[in-house]
Amino acid sequence: MSTDTIEKSVASAKQSGRSVIELVGMSKWYGNFQVLKDIDLTVYEGERIVVCGPSGSGKSTMIRCINQLEVHQEGDVIINGKAYGKDEKQNDLIRRDIGMVFQSFNLFPHLSVLENCTMAQIWVKETPKAEAEAVAMHFLERVRIPEQALKYPLQLSGGQQQRVAIARALCMNPKIMLFDEPTSALDPEMINEVLEAMIELAQSGMTMIVVTHEMNFARKVADRVIFMDQGEIVEQAPPHAFFDNPRYDRTQLFLSQILHH
Amino acid sequence: MSDSTTTTTKTQPLIFQPKPERAAPPSTVGVIGWMRQNLFSNVSNTLLTIVGAYIVYVFLAWVLNWAVFNAVWQAENRRECLDLVGRSGACWPGVIQWFDNLIYGLYPKDQIWRINLGFLALILWVAPLWFPKVQSKVAIGITAVMLYPFLASYFFLGGDKGVLWMALISAGLTGLIWVWLTVFTELFHGKSFTRMMGEILGASGKSEEEQLKFGRLSLIGVFAIAVVLVSQWELSFVSTRQWGGLFLTLVISGIGITFSLPSGILLALGRRSTMPLIRLMCTGFIELFRSVPLITILFMFNTMLPLFLPVGVEVNQLVRAIVAVCLFAAAYMAEVIRGGLQAIPKGQYEAAAAMGLGYWQATTLIIMPQALKIMIPTIVGNFIGLFKDTTLVSIIGLFDLLNMARSVGEDTRWLGLFIEPFFFITLIYFFFCFLMSQYSINLERKLEAGARR
Repeated sequence: MSTDTIEKSVASAKQSGRSVIELVGMSKWYGNFQVLKDIDLTVYEGERIVVCGPSGSGKSTMIRCINQLEVHQEGDVIINGKAYGKDEKQNDLIRRDIGMVFQSFNLFPHLSVLENCTMAQIWVKETPKAEAEAVAMHFLERVRIPEQALKYPLQLSGGQQQRVAIARALCMNPKIMLFDEPTSALDPEMINEVLEAMIELAQSGMTMIVVTHEMNFARKVADRVIFMDQGEIVEQAPPHAFFDNPRYDRTQLFLSQILHH
Repeated sequence: MSDSTTTTTKTQPLIFQPKPERAAPPSTVGVIGWMRQNLFSNVSNTLLTIVGAYIVYVFLAWVLNWAVFNAVWQAENRRECLDLVGRSGACWPGVIQWFDNLIYGLYPKDQIWRINLGFLALILWVAPLWFPKVQSKVAIGITAVMLYPFLASYFFLGGDKGVLWMALISAGLTGLIWVWLTVFTELFHGKSFTRMMGEILGASGKSEEEQLKFGRLSLIGVFAIAVVLVSQWELSFVSTRQWGGLFLTLVISGIGITFSLPSGILLALGRRSTMPLIRLMCTGFIELFRSVPLITILFMFNTMLPLFLPVGVEVNQLVRAIVAVCLFAAAYMAEVIRGGLQAIPKGQYEAAAAMGLGYWQATTLIIMPQALKIMIPTIVGNFIGLFKDTTLVSIIGLFDLLNMARSVGEDTRWLGLFIEPFFFITLIYFFFCFLMSQYSINLERKLEAGARR
């Protein structure tokens, strides 16, 4: 009932109102342990969602199911109206609209920054090399490290690596960006440069799902904050409502733990 | 003055001035510094250095005296040597007389140029890989593996050429010619030979792809020239029974090494495959060949395999030995590669998948280059091991370098002359193994450049 009103408000906020991600009764088990319990979630075009929750709550697993790095066992994951199924080729096509940034960057250490950004363009989209390089430089400029293009990932700082990872994902021209704790592995002084790149991306209208504990980022950028625990979505609300008036005791406890330390 | 500034500008932060760097104390850098730190850092180390240097001196003096200063260089047989210097000096004439046999086996003396030419062709083929300006290195490497064997086996074997055989040899020659044409066009014009020919043959207005088509046509021209050349060659047949010495060792280990890497990669991937049947087959093959000594495999292939073949089908003994060595080496290499694959973090696979790369793309572009790089020392270690393991083919009666060296002492004139030929082949083995290990270090250093922080 109340979730409906929230979704309505979000939908009205996003003029288009077109849903790009739909999770319908999605469940997943690791062996006998159920990590995700009947997740229902609809994400609208251009919406920015922050997912938080204690470790082990299933938030990473949930967004990894969205691009099928983890395969769910029950329910449907529908991207732009198309559900993942048995056909791997079809799945690859669906997945192509989704970019992902990882906690540990996962840049390819044997390739230069530029090659990291052009590799998938050249081999997956068969873009000519010169064009791919131009695209790569465009996005490296957007994350403000074009001058590092010829260096190798391990020569860069963590913050720079993560920005390269963002540029690399953007090079594939995704409609949706997933961020799996993008700042958790960074030294404190480097967190801001990555968050700034993400804020800029959000302002450009990209649909984003961000798993993070950066609550200031959530306040500033998110349209909706989702709190997960024990494989379920406990609560979701626009940031001011979420932070000022959490309805569940579990959410209150979690917020008190991460905000006052 | 300073008091007043600190009191009046309390809110102004102090300015942090890092201290300038100073030069390191002179006793810690340079040759002297190195010696001080590593050889003479305290009394006991100084003592050890002196004792160590003395031991090295005694050993070297002993070896040099035996091998050079007291050695006999001219004699007709071993008796003469013994009469001259006894056992205090080496008797080299035996090795010198057997030199051709040690290197080429029983290959007819007037045909030995063919072996030299064959290896020269190989050197010519792979040398461009070290030219920094050459771009088509991958193509050159692949042609060397795929086409060189045809050319070489004709040089080494000779004999009649059927139509198919003729085509394959010509393809080999085409490859070699193409490599050098490409080297020249790339050195002087920065374009591969095919692209260059495409631009010349194709009208300038045409698209790049059409030009490339013309360029490929020009390769047919090269092939035609190669066919004409090859048809002129008349090389007499030399049976593999006459192959021996270093030549045979290089043939067996060369084929084994070249085969083991790609097949090891495929086996390792198969063993990690999600498809149960493929996984089972690869695991079975690897475990079977790893759990049996190479000698046993050689014996099996030499004596038992012919029993299973249909009557009339005869497989050359050398081929049997080479197949045995290849399968054995592939099984070992597979486990080395698997070790490398194990070391690649899961995140690399996930990032590749998230970027939309498929299994083979992710494997060849992302995973394998990293896995192979990590395992270079072990892979080259395996190559060196394989090179030395080929001595085991002497067990089934092939006269490789080791077996040849042993036969020197069985020659009636040089009866009992074992130490000298063994000393000589030790140098040969050392040369090749050291070359491989140096190359591996060199390669590591080159690839390290990117990963250095």
